[in-house]
Amino acid sequence: MAVQSDAPVMDAAGPYDRAKALSAFKLGDVTFYWITRLSAISVLLILGGIIVSLIIGAWPAAKAFGIQFLWTQRWAPSADPPVLGALSPMYGTLVTSIIAMVIAIPVGLGIAIFLTELCPQWLRRPIGIAIELLAGIPSIIYGMWGFFVLGPFLAYTFQPFMIDTFGSVPVLGAIFAGPPSYLSLFNAALILAIMVLPFITAISVDVFKTVPPVLKEAAYGVGCTTWEVVRSVVIPYTRVGVIGGIMLALGRALGETMAVTFIIGNSFRISSSIFAPGTTISAAIASEFAESDGLHQSALILLGLLLFVLTFFVLAAARLMLLRLEKKAGK
Amino acid sequence: MTDLSVSVSSNAHLAAQQPLPEAPAKVTVRNLNFYYGEHHALKNINLTLGTNRVTAFIGPSGCGKSTLLRIFNRMYDLYPGQRVTGQLMLDQTNILDPKLDLNLLRARVGMVFQKPTPFPMTIYENIAFGIRLYEKISKSEMDDRVEKALRGGALWNEVKDKLNASGLSLSGGQQQRLCIARTVAVRPEVILFDEPCSALDPISTAKVEELIQELSENYTIAIVTHNMQQAARVSDKTAFMYLGELIEFDDTSKIFTSPSDRRTQDYITGRFG
Repeated sequence: MAVQSDAPVMDAAGPYDRAKALSAFKLGDVTFYWITRLSAISVLLILGGIIVSLIIGAWPAAKAFGIQFLWTQRWAPSADPPVLGALSPMYGTLVTSIIAMVIAIPVGLGIAIFLTELCPQWLRRPIGIAIELLAGIPSIIYGMWGFFVLGPFLAYTFQPFMIDTFGSVPVLGAIFAGPPSYLSLFNAALILAIMVLPFITAISVDVFKTVPPVLKEAAYGVGCTTWEVVRSVVIPYTRVGVIGGIMLALGRALGETMAVTFIIGNSFRISSSIFAPGTTISAAIASEFAESDGLHQSALILLGLLLFVLTFFVLAAARLMLLRLEKKAGK
Repeated sequence: MTDLSVSVSSNAHLAAQQPLPEAPAKVTVRNLNFYYGEHHALKNINLTLGTNRVTAFIGPSGCGKSTLLRIFNRMYDLYPGQRVTGQLMLDQTNILDPKLDLNLLRARVGMVFQKPTPFPMTIYENIAFGIRLYEKISKSEMDDRVEKALRGGALWNEVKDKLNASGLSLSGGQQQRLCIARTVAVRPEVILFDEPCSALDPISTAKVEELIQELSENYTIAIVTHNMQQAARVSDKTAFMYLGELIEFDDTSKIFTSPSDRRTQDYITGRFG
């Protein structure tokens, strides 16, 4: 509208043909519009395609085992007829991810707070680069390190210590009990925590930097300590971004395959102890898919579909939590 | 319309203003120098802020007014590479003492910024937050203090029915008064205003100015402003700064009617700056 009413004035101003120039722009605009629109639509198509092919692949297993698949612990593909259930991989996936997040969130946020609020200038770059490098290490290397270094330490030093300390406490005792093993849920969870740490830290640092300095000054101005500024101003101001970073990390923890397959032990048994071997959905698929066929393969695809759904629900829950937080803060 | 009425009333105010008697010094600045790294930003500043007086700081951008204000509550301490020499006393306290408890200092010297800076929490919490840092009081006492502070910020009537709404939901002028109320709630002795009205519309500006006048009955106030009418309207004393130096410091009525320095006159008549 504004352009049209301006046009005569512009024409009068010189030999420049504004209408012609505008129509050339318009063609570019239409092209641009369609390219961006197709890119956006392609995401939906790819996502839909993946879901559809997962459902088709999983159908035989879903039909054979029904809803019981979800709470059957036994996994015996060579039995006759085969008995396959998703309970222990689902349990392993959730437990390792939860432990990983419990460790990684405070440490990751702590690093981010230190880097943005407290760290002397000369130390910022080295720590920042170290965090980036941590994100760049291939996951198989984490797996090997977990197996050769962390595993023995956990099995022969950490676990005996925990048993000595908490062994006689009713619930805790059971959580730490069991024979020493390099391969365990806890080992996998620790490795996952280290792997997702850079995500939480990098994203938190980025969003912490968006807090207007004057807002922080205002908080210091009423006499806050650095901790109070961070807790009451920086984190509330950036909570959407921080939670986004945590969700990204959680998504990675739920789906991480290689390192976990290496150190979790791939045992389809649910044990009360976090030092016992277990398995996760992605580890089960990775370790068995190559030599599977028929119903077994279909069950593995069904596991994949479950992981998809699980991740979706976790993300949805996070969104819901965010909404409730916003309500509480008074929007 | 509003602009006009404000400026008319301001002239009346200016004409009616008698030089107030000298007040006892609240803040004393002696031979103060300030450096941003190598840059010498403030050069040998000497002045006093009188108790319960409003002191305005005027001057062109970059002359060091805001810098000076940010020394009064040691805000510059947040940033590396900034240092200060000289003497700066708040009553008997040496503000520049490196061992000084900065949190206590900032409770005594509150600050209101150019842009409204409500914290990301409810209106009630915005006020209660600052109080809670220093005092442990019951819920009913807190309600009382919050109401008092919001009344002090001339905001109570507008927000009393939505104390649980986010502080960010208020208009710009209301946000600024919320920030003033928040500052007052901590019961400071000195309040620093750093261009408090530059982001506000004329009506909000008039309200904030009125508020500053009221606050000056109980608080020592320093205000940085680019608006010379505003300086004339609200202040008892005015300091004119130029290129990091304090050029002239005198009663506001004198500065705006018969300044003794040529540069002051050029600035207030709009010949530069």
